[in-house]
Amino acid sequence: MVTVESLKRVEILIGLTEEQLARVLQICQTRVYHNQDIIVREREPSDEIYVINRGSAEVILSGGRVTAEALAAPGPDAVISLGQGQTFGEMALIDMGPRSATVRCTSDGSELYVIRREDFIQLCEQDTDIGYKVMRNLAAELSFKLRHRNLSWRSD
Amino acid sequence: MIYKVSFVVQGGTHPGGIQNLDERPKLGDILTLGNQQFEIVEVMEIIPPRGDFAYLHATCRPIDGKET
Repeated sequence: MVTVESLKRVEILIGLTEEQLARVLQICQTRVYHNQDIIVREREPSDEIYVINRGSAEVILSGGRVTAEALAAPGPDAVISLGQGQTFGEMALIDMGPRSATVRCTSDGSELYVIRREDFIQLCEQDTDIGYKVMRNLAAELSFKLRHRNLSWRSD
Repeated sequence: MIYKVSFVVQGGTHPGGIQNLDERPKLGDILTLGNQQFEIVEVMEIIPPRGDFAYLHATCRPIDGKET
């Protein structure tokens, strides 16, 4: 179940007051996924952002393979593993583009918070203080992922 | 404090990952990513803390034959 307390552990909501978190809570849903479930699929339209509250997922660049069978086939496709507290789908929130990668659940009973893009943007526009903080946090989130990618190259 | 950690595995055998931890990882800790286990061999701060979050990078090496 989503609560204000649990939202305090979500990085893209850093700096929001209890009252602001309560407003985010109103547009937040919870979904449960199981191991190997496809949560989002590369190149499909996007209208939601996800936060992993419990469990894990992996981001996959399919190289054009989009069916479950093709994705299950061997290949060095997984580009990152995401654990508790991690966000994905945030690029679509900003640029409105299609999904840039497939995300597959990797543990049974994974619980995700889901926020519809339209609801999130509407909230950010209604309360521009929320909007400023969330957009700053999203920029920091994307920056962290870029730094992770840079460090990955260093290790190869 | 919540420790947001970028994990990179030496040798390109695993894509690595990002996880939030309640305790700061340290050298020698064993980490599970997916069904594989890794030993942490390097920990460093990537950027200064923000809010209740600290941002770290950890380099890991696979532990041979260890699968969960």
